[in-house]
Amino acid sequence: MDRREALKRTALLGGAAASTTLLGLLQACQQQPRLEWQPVFLSMDHARLVAALVDTILPATATPGGLDVKVDLFIDLVYARTYDAAGQQQVVEDLEAFNSRSAAQFGKPFADLEADQRRAFLQEEEAGAPPFNPRVWGTAVGEQAPVGFYRGFKAMAVWAYCSTEAIGKNQLNYDPIPGGFRGCVPLSEVGKVWSL
Amino acid sequence: MPNYNIDARQDMTYDAIVIGSGMSGGWAAKELCEAGLKTLVLERGRIVEPIKDFPTMNLESWDFELRGGLTPEDRQKHYKGIRTGFIGEANKHFYANDEEDPYTEVKPFLWVRAHQMGGRSQLWGRQCYRWSDLDFEANARDGHGVDWPIRYRDLESWYTYVETFAGISGEALGLPHLPDSHFLPPMELNCVEKDVKARIEQQYPGRHLIIGRVAHLTEPINGRGKCQYRNKCDRGCPFSAFFSSTAVTLPAADATGNLTVRPFSIAHSIIYDEQQGKATGVRLIDSETGEMKEYFARIIFCNASTLGTTRILLNSTSSRFPNGMGNDSGELGHNLMDHTYRVGAFGRFDGHEDMYYSGRRPNGIYIPRYRNLDEQTKSDTFVRGFGYQGGAGRAGWGGAGNADGFGAEYKDALFTDPGPWSFFITGFAECLPYHENHVTLDTQNLDKWGQPTLAIDCEWKENELAMNQQIEIDAVEMLERAGLQDIVGFNNRHEPGYGIHEMGTARMGRDPKTSVLNGTNQLHGVPNVFVTDGACMTSNSCVNPSLTYMALTARAADHAISELKKLNL
Repeated sequence: MDRREALKRTALLGGAAASTTLLGLLQACQQQPRLEWQPVFLSMDHARLVAALVDTILPATATPGGLDVKVDLFIDLVYARTYDAAGQQQVVEDLEAFNSRSAAQFGKPFADLEADQRRAFLQEEEAGAPPFNPRVWGTAVGEQAPVGFYRGFKAMAVWAYCSTEAIGKNQLNYDPIPGGFRGCVPLSEVGKVWSL
Repeated sequence: MPNYNIDARQDMTYDAIVIGSGMSGGWAAKELCEAGLKTLVLERGRIVEPIKDFPTMNLESWDFELRGGLTPEDRQKHYKGIRTGFIGEANKHFYANDEEDPYTEVKPFLWVRAHQMGGRSQLWGRQCYRWSDLDFEANARDGHGVDWPIRYRDLESWYTYVETFAGISGEALGLPHLPDSHFLPPMELNCVEKDVKARIEQQYPGRHLIIGRVAHLTEPINGRGKCQYRNKCDRGCPFSAFFSSTAVTLPAADATGNLTVRPFSIAHSIIYDEQQGKATGVRLIDSETGEMKEYFARIIFCNASTLGTTRILLNSTSSRFPNGMGNDSGELGHNLMDHTYRVGAFGRFDGHEDMYYSGRRPNGIYIPRYRNLDEQTKSDTFVRGFGYQGGAGRAGWGGAGNADGFGAEYKDALFTDPGPWSFFITGFAECLPYHENHVTLDTQNLDKWGQPTLAIDCEWKENELAMNQQIEIDAVEMLERAGLQDIVGFNNRHEPGYGIHEMGTARMGRDPKTSVLNGTNQLHGVPNVFVTDGACMTSNSCVNPSLTYMALTARAADHAISELKKLNL
């Protein structure tokens, strides 16, 4: 289901259902703790959604989670600084549509879903989302089908996570000056995935 | 570092003026300075000195505010160059401001500029391949364009000369149509590349898959360090391990004490003296003050890039040359060529999952041309040929956007699972010289300094499109036979210019009626003006051109020096 389709379906829910949902959203918002940071671009509700997505995709385990390394703050900065007005408008619509789909299914915005509801919802979002085309030297090859909001967001979250010093230097295999190149090395010898 | 002619109070007369400090201009400066000529290099942009002017060379993603991203303002400033996909927060300071110096695309054409000392030698792909007589005889053989006035034997010793100084890494193969360079040790193929190589070479007798031949030091020479496999080349190399004019040729020129570099100097035109029948100097615009100035010399080398040089020559009008200096033939600005690019195939390699690599090799694989070499390999649908570049790798966390799932397990895999191996090849095809692919001075659209810009009217034609079809078909088939899975053939149908190998708009030739330059890169009508950048190319082969620009420049400079000694110029 693409974004336009999603918006259309949300619209088809009709006035009463939508109002109820909206009320639910408002109540839910009032119950939530305020964010500990001030977004540059995102609304408070959208910042909560971004944080919830980041935390679901990249939770804290034995290693830091996405929120520990401020992936949500960086995504807000990316939207604020690198997107043009049309791109920013698209983000707002995508986030709205995402929450609307969550509301349509569970009666709540994504940030307020239980862990198993979040998982079920993301699995559905992920199913059927076209993959990114391979890239050759900075450019996607062939005709890129729209990957949809969720896959795009997931890729951005992973990038925002792995490009931090906390992860890129301390968790991934960081070797700033390799000095040489060896073409065939056992993975077991390298150990972890290269940072750079 | 060089003398910088910044205050313009120095003598305005030199032995030689070189317009442009990039790939070929650096070589001209080195050769002329080493021969004892007081040489002025005009650079339209700022000074770039290694290390000092490489502000991002040691930074990591987390050191950048946007971790490599661009703002809408950046994208506007680079609204042409952005199409390459190469520009980011780490290297944007080496790409030209497209708003200050625009050009008109009569048909879609990408012209990527680097307006500072070193030019595009700071940003190039560093692939280096000799031409052969398959290339130099191509026009004569199939009747497209005009015949080259030189052959491989004329350039062979100059290739060796520039390779020995620049440092080219690669593996000798003994192919007559892709002559071996004077090589430093080759870089290594990775496991999957070795495997694919074996399968392709077994399946297709006569085809080869080799490590790319690159202008990287794999052993230190001339005080330069060897490649450290950081793969941050486009930010400037702190070890001077890859060839650029700022790291290699300009320091050599400077060591003679004969070099002066004048930055912020936009060459406006070459001054022609009607009485003497030769060029006497260069008119330039100081880009900071807007002031026009004249500098004088006995010889002028034009190395402002193919289209930059062409713009200057077209703008150099006089009673003798009303249509641009040296343009008796009417060919100046015509026969623009580039390589077709981004046509090929991509696939997943199942196997070697327990293997990885270490170091970030700034190089890939090369598949030399195998079509239209002889009667057996002759194509029915096109003339000339193509080669492929490519490589294998594991995307690591960069591929995680496509990986299924999320949550703890997904996150932990970012650290432990390098992902599947993939392999791709993308073709580079020779383009024919068509008179109608041309540029003209555009006096309606002016640049920031009020000067005419270029209108570029260029397109691929039947032969290039037929070759692109074959490139994709062959690529998919080779990957199939090499055992790749989920193969995707692709043809991005890029406009010309995308290969960043513009060539041909002041071509060499035997006949002044049909060409702009003679066999030693002198304007037929003005023998003390030399053009040795890509503008001089009579055809464009399918291999990367920079090594040939270097060799042609060293050869032409040698000729210029010898003619000066004989008082012929």
